[in-house]
Amino acid sequence: MVRRYGELTAVDGISFEIAPGETYGLLGPNGAGKTTTISMIAGLLAADSGAVRVLGEQMGPSRVAVKRHIGLVPQDLAIYPELKGRQNLNFFGRLQGLRGKELTTRVDEVLDLVGLTDRAGDPAKEYSGGMKRRLNIGIGLLHRPTLLILDEPTVGVDPQSRNAILESVEALSGEGMAVLYTTHYMEEAERLCDRIGIVDSGQLQAEGTRDELIRLIGGLDRVRLDGSGDLAAAADALGDLAAVEQVDVDRTGLSLAVREAPTAVAELVTRAIAAGVTLADVEITRPNLEQVFLHLTGRALRD
Amino acid sequence: MRQLWVMTSSDLRQRLRDKSVIIFSLIVPLALMFVFNLVFGGTDEIELEPVTVAVSAPADDEVAQTLLDAITGTGVVDVTVEQVPAEVARTAVADGEANLAMIVPEGFGEDVLAGTGGDLEFVEGDTSGLETGVVIVVSQSVLDAYAAGTVAATAGGGLGLDPEELGRVAVEAATAGPTVESTEGETSDEQLGQGAALVAGQAGLFLTFTVGFGVLGLISERQEGTLARLQSMPMRPGLIVLAKALTAFVLGVVATSVLLTLGGLFFDVSFGPPALVGLLILSVVTAITSLTFIVVRVARTAEQAGIIQSILAMVLGIAGGAFFPVTASGSLARVLDLNPIAAFTRGLGITSSGGGLADLAAPIAIMLGFAVVMLVVARLIPDRGVSR
Repeated sequence: MVRRYGELTAVDGISFEIAPGETYGLLGPNGAGKTTTISMIAGLLAADSGAVRVLGEQMGPSRVAVKRHIGLVPQDLAIYPELKGRQNLNFFGRLQGLRGKELTTRVDEVLDLVGLTDRAGDPAKEYSGGMKRRLNIGIGLLHRPTLLILDEPTVGVDPQSRNAILESVEALSGEGMAVLYTTHYMEEAERLCDRIGIVDSGQLQAEGTRDELIRLIGGLDRVRLDGSGDLAAAADALGDLAAVEQVDVDRTGLSLAVREAPTAVAELVTRAIAAGVTLADVEITRPNLEQVFLHLTGRALRD
Repeated sequence: MRQLWVMTSSDLRQRLRDKSVIIFSLIVPLALMFVFNLVFGGTDEIELEPVTVAVSAPADDEVAQTLLDAITGTGVVDVTVEQVPAEVARTAVADGEANLAMIVPEGFGEDVLAGTGGDLEFVEGDTSGLETGVVIVVSQSVLDAYAAGTVAATAGGGLGLDPEELGRVAVEAATAGPTVESTEGETSDEQLGQGAALVAGQAGLFLTFTVGFGVLGLISERQEGTLARLQSMPMRPGLIVLAKALTAFVLGVVATSVLLTLGGLFFDVSFGPPALVGLLILSVVTAITSLTFIVVRVARTAEQAGIIQSILAMVLGIAGGAFFPVTASGSLARVLDLNPIAAFTRGLGITSSGGGLADLAAPIAIMLGFAVVMLVVARLIPDRGVSR
């Protein structure tokens, strides 16, 4: 997909696929092109070139039938604050084509799913930020979409509500729904997403599972052993281990590049002590998506 | 269509909960109608007050006597004449004891009859007004009649008529009625009275604001983030704007109907058969609603929409006679005639004076034609506004 705004190319050739039951994360900083990308996928915008296909059918602003497969949870709270929670769900449910008993039943199910049954009769403006976010997500689920698009659904949410939202998304994925999840929170992407696309400057910089992406930067954990004693002897002893790729010695300790550090750390400590080192601290740093992003783009995820 | 109904009915409910619609669409225009009626009310039904005229005139002056008979017998102004010396007459006006002084000099009558002119002096004071103006005009008319007779006699003398014939011609010239008469024509029939014009004008002016709530509703959807969700629903994107326009149309029809009804009751005005008035309301609301489609393509923010809407309301309202009658000639008059609010007011003038459906063809054609042109223009304008 390509989408331009005048001179600015907001989305520059992004392409990916999502399978049923898969949660795909679009990870990138603000302004990377995530929202423009999902706007085209949801049929809000037409692509200047390229195409979006949902279940094989091309999506576009006027593709009414294809839009039925999509459930959009916009980044902004897309609810009517003056309406009660149930009224919000009823309104959007009707627009999705639900009616009568089917609508009533589905609204009850969604209220239960997002934990708002007790507050369904209250105006949405009286909800907490987290409750509004949950209602926002519930509206996107009403018609059981094939593809649920969540655009930064946890922005401005307290930790408790964030956890509830993440649990809901995990449950949906388990039911076979395809989920497209955009975020600039690395930990959310790592927890939820089966595959992740790293977006920057309107381009897909890399794509794959978490481990695949980490392997792009070597995939080695860092272990720091702070201490005193015969550091050189310890370096020789540790360097002989198969899991250890590299050992550096300095005045206060040892820095090691290690495969699967959590597994190897016990052996590392034992050998260091045996070599005559008195340890003061042990620290393991595993490579994460933040480092992947930094490696790929030269800047931090939240810049 | 079901989605259109769902959006429109929900929007109408939310608009009615929003008190600003009721305030701007009904309460403010009704209040302005009362204010303008207090300020301008009654000027089309003038009651002339009695006046006192202090007159100084020679007792044997026939022309002066004729003048006094004329000003006391107008049947329009109740005139009391007080015969006083010239200086007393002037002082009476200065002191407010008389509204007007008329000073007829010695030999005035002879001069008038001889055709050599003469100075008739009027003195107005602080208490003078429209009534004394009527007295002066009546006096002038009498003197004009004398002048006409004198001119006729002089001309007859030049032609060699005998004295008896000359006298008959002079009297005939002096007493002849006007040879040109004006009668009330069709245009006059289309004019609303002042009270009715105020009601119609204010209803037309505030219709523009009422319809503007449709545009503001669309902007509100974007600001609250619901526009993106609506656009993701399985319906054509144009349906969202159409729902807002339909909301605006319904609000416009209801508000205008209520304003004309209440305005008619409060100010004792009748606009004619309800069916024809209803047809005019539907036409003018259609015309003004069509502007919605242009505003949503041009305005990006609530502020921009508010400014555009206010400009349109004031231009169309003022040009349509919302505050005072606007008249023009030539090409400007033709442009003003294309204003849907002016056409609406003109249509109400026709229905209030007994006109039928055929008589409404022109104003209705103007309003519906305006709507068509605005819709075509909206299609041609690149969409840079709130509906994007």
